[in-house]
Amino acid sequence: MGRLFLTPAVVLILVFSIFPLIASLVMAFTRIRFTGGGFKVRYVAWRNFDKQFFGSEQFHLLGTFGPLSILAWVVGLAATLGLFWWLYRYCRTHFTVVGFIGRLITFAMALFLAWLFAATLLSGRQFGTVGTTLFYVVVGCGLQFLIGTALAFACSQHIRGSRAFRVIFFVPMMITPIGVGYIFRMLADTSKGPFANVWQWAGLGDWSWATDPWAARIFITIADSWQWIPFVFIMMLAGFESVSKDLNEAAEIDGAGKWMTFREIIWPQVLPIAATVMLIRVIEAFKIVDLPNIMTAGGPGIATESVSLQSYYAWRSLDLGSASAIAYILLFITVVICVSFFNLVVLARVRAKP
Amino acid sequence: MNAETTDLSVAAKGISIREFNKYYGAFHALKNMSLEVSPGEFLVLLGPSGCGKSTALRMIAGLESITSGTLMIGDQDVSQVLPKYRDIAMVFQSYALYPHKTVGENIGFPLKVAKTPKAEMDAAILAAAEQVELETLLDRLPGQLSGGQRQRVALARAIIRRPSVFLMDEPLSNLDAKLRGNMRAELKHMQNSLGITTIYVTHDQIEAMTLAHRVAIMKDGELQQLGTPKEVYSNPENLFVAGFMGSPPMNFVEGAIANGVFTADGVSLPTNQLSDLSKVTLGFRPEDCTVVEKGQGQLDAQVFTLEMTGDQSLVTFRSGDKSMVVKMPKDFEIEPASYAGIAFDASHACFFDTDSGQRLRPS
Amino acid sequence: MKYGLFEPRKIGEMAPATKVVLYTLLLAWSLFVIFPIYWLVITSFKTPAAVNEGPFFIPWVDFKPSLHAWRDLFVYDLADTMRAYFNSVVIAFSATVLSVFVGSLAAYSLSRIEFAPNLITILYFVLLLIGASVAIGVYGADLWLTLAIVVAMFFLLARAVGRLYSVRLKNGDILFWIISQRILAPIVVVVPIYMMFQSVRLLDTHLALILTYAVVNLPIVVWLMFDFFNSIPRDLEESAQLDGATMIMTFREVVMPLSRTGLAATTLLVMIFSWNEYLFALFISTSKAQTLPILVAAMNAGERGILWWTMSVAIIIMIIPVVALAVVLQKYISKGLLVGAVKG
Repeated sequence: MGRLFLTPAVVLILVFSIFPLIASLVMAFTRIRFTGGGFKVRYVAWRNFDKQFFGSEQFHLLGTFGPLSILAWVVGLAATLGLFWWLYRYCRTHFTVVGFIGRLITFAMALFLAWLFAATLLSGRQFGTVGTTLFYVVVGCGLQFLIGTALAFACSQHIRGSRAFRVIFFVPMMITPIGVGYIFRMLADTSKGPFANVWQWAGLGDWSWATDPWAARIFITIADSWQWIPFVFIMMLAGFESVSKDLNEAAEIDGAGKWMTFREIIWPQVLPIAATVMLIRVIEAFKIVDLPNIMTAGGPGIATESVSLQSYYAWRSLDLGSASAIAYILLFITVVICVSFFNLVVLARVRAKP
Repeated sequence: MNAETTDLSVAAKGISIREFNKYYGAFHALKNMSLEVSPGEFLVLLGPSGCGKSTALRMIAGLESITSGTLMIGDQDVSQVLPKYRDIAMVFQSYALYPHKTVGENIGFPLKVAKTPKAEMDAAILAAAEQVELETLLDRLPGQLSGGQRQRVALARAIIRRPSVFLMDEPLSNLDAKLRGNMRAELKHMQNSLGITTIYVTHDQIEAMTLAHRVAIMKDGELQQLGTPKEVYSNPENLFVAGFMGSPPMNFVEGAIANGVFTADGVSLPTNQLSDLSKVTLGFRPEDCTVVEKGQGQLDAQVFTLEMTGDQSLVTFRSGDKSMVVKMPKDFEIEPASYAGIAFDASHACFFDTDSGQRLRPS
Repeated sequence: MKYGLFEPRKIGEMAPATKVVLYTLLLAWSLFVIFPIYWLVITSFKTPAAVNEGPFFIPWVDFKPSLHAWRDLFVYDLADTMRAYFNSVVIAFSATVLSVFVGSLAAYSLSRIEFAPNLITILYFVLLLIGASVAIGVYGADLWLTLAIVVAMFFLLARAVGRLYSVRLKNGDILFWIISQRILAPIVVVVPIYMMFQSVRLLDTHLALILTYAVVNLPIVVWLMFDFFNSIPRDLEESAQLDGATMIMTFREVVMPLSRTGLAATTLLVMIFSWNEYLFALFISTSKAQTLPILVAAMNAGERGILWWTMSVAIIIMIIPVVALAVVLQKYISKGLLVGAVKG
């Protein structure tokens, strides 16, 4: 009887998640052409992926490659050596076959991304949507985590008006990403926005952040952080408040100051929660699509386009095969990175907790 | 490493608490408490939950501010001093062990905070661990220890700093009964050998009786009586102390004193020159009386139950809504619902003013 | 005694420097949070001229507030606005109810019953699905016929396959599978979902969006509620069972009331996500079932550029209900999320 309880969820997921996933995979290997009332499907093997990785869309997904600069060589080789050393150390200490295969996949992905980064950005060229998405994930999540944790810790102290702060800090999470995008576009307007006078004064009155790739990326990251810091805040606040008061007092009596108590007592306690929060944020951050679409439409050029957005644009131009292929590339990168993070960071932290 | 090289004993300091008051908003949690603890003394704060004993301890520790009053440790006024400068150590009810640190790291944390050199720290950890017989478990995490072992870690962490004062907040209440007995003995032994002034909070009167040099009994934020365990047991100052100490507690009979004679339902007892009062409570301990034939004792009542506790029998009497308990030898037998008399030694009886609760003394 | 800057002057008080740092941080962030919202609100009361002629900050001082944008949306375009609002309410509410209901059931059974599905049977099913997709997609086989064949093949041979090869999964694996669905970016599944709804003529209907949102949020519900159910002591249910209650009754009478906190947090979270969702709505609802985010985004489509004033109004009316709900339920959220978070 109780077994039936699970059925609706499984059926829903099979129909609306697993089946589309498989269908999408099939579509990634086909070319779909719309004709009159219906559409024609043709099997094209790896051609959709080929186009993204090596063909006409390479600049879009991966970026423009140029001759490697010295800096690129240094960073690339350093990353390679570091990764090899990491793998070697693992083999020497506690080797298992499954663990090794898993680490090998992580290793390959990290190596690929390191060299991609070296060959595009560090060699003075543009990176593509993969690089942009990673920028949103790494910089955005890092920023959100730092600020959210700091705010949560501040609010977990005995602060007057702590309840009001909590409510205020929580609000941005409620606002639709579309709204956040437009609000920040208003704010960022250099001639009519609230900071117009500041821009004029700085001699940037005619400058538009939307035309500078880095300014645009950073601006999207700020908007994204504005929206998602509340999430980190509320989870970390729950974490800080779950640390037993006795431990704080014991540390106080043992002579530890605020900073020492935080570093030695509180932080190790909330670390598993922090890792989980970070994982959730990273998973969500990989999906970013609304903000770049609203704020910059991916521009200038492709500077702020995320992989999701690229896939959406491919769909809009009715290239369903490419759209699915790009989506699958995103899925693959997300899964490898998130699973690696889960196994190497989250599980390690959770296990370390007695 | 040799334990002898690290001496854990210290010069004990006295504590003097003068007119402590604590308000939480309008709530008066601690009322004018004054107390002197001499160096090396083991003082127990005893009382039911919510009586303010923990608040008092936390004020001494510096975890709560002192609304008004003065706290001296040794000859220094520390009323406004931060906990870490008070030269105290505290054992919490939950032990408050740092779950992510090993036993050794837990014990050594106070020294780590004080930036003690590594070698010195290791020696001190070992010495403290040996004191509580934990030296083989230094690499374990607290989660892997039994309750008694955790208790010892907490103790070791407290003694490693060689504080001049030890504060303990119900340290044994999370242990099971048998372990509690063992730990009690060990605590007493350790306090004796280290000679550290100790203030110990508990609601368990057996702990208070066995451990304390002196007991301070509290109720509703007020100090009720301060004295040696023997004094507070046999010479209670008021009805509350009389009813709180002892298990089962003192039996009470309400009556009046007229012409120096206490009278109640069927009871008539000469008192020792007590002045007349209309509402008086007579108290006598269950072990100070015996069950006798009906009509032979000072009062008669109906037997309610007979309980065997192993080393003795407790006979409970009921008359009206009052009950009285008499301790009898273990092979004592009596029929429930039968009537019997209770005889007691009048010299051990105490008289209290029913309204104020105060003990009546010969004027 | 001399105290450092970061040491409290009095017991139970904060050190002066700590206090300064904390309050600066909190106040600065409050400002950063509030200012964009303030700007949004005043923009909604500005005339186009007041928006275009440069920054004006304080109503009545800098510019004369006007209700024209509110009038545009609530008088001239009332029908459109109300339809989008109604759509959003119906869709978010139904999707939340469906998701929380189905997800809680699943989470409850996962936390109370041992499942041991056979991995090989599942793989067999997935293989059949892949075959069907290829047949339909590439060779143009009939959709319903192929699906019927797949179902028939599965039920005919599942037992045989399961007997021959058996690799048992545990509850944790099922849970992980469900939660891991959250990794899927909407973009990966949205195109097939679009085509699926098209083939059953459900495109641009409430039902399509309700089902999609319910499934997308299912992982969150299952994850949070699983931890919540696990934290409820089993004695209560056992005593209910001894009293003769069936599993459904136990669930309804004992478990649900006890998980109010978790349910509140989960419901609110799912509600927010459904209410604010954009990408799926963009694909699936084209006109009739258009939701509020699409309405907001549509303000950008005019020839006159972005109508900031009406867009501000649209955003405001969109965030009012969720903010109100969140402020009311705020205390439950931290408590409800805590159970999941602390356990990791």
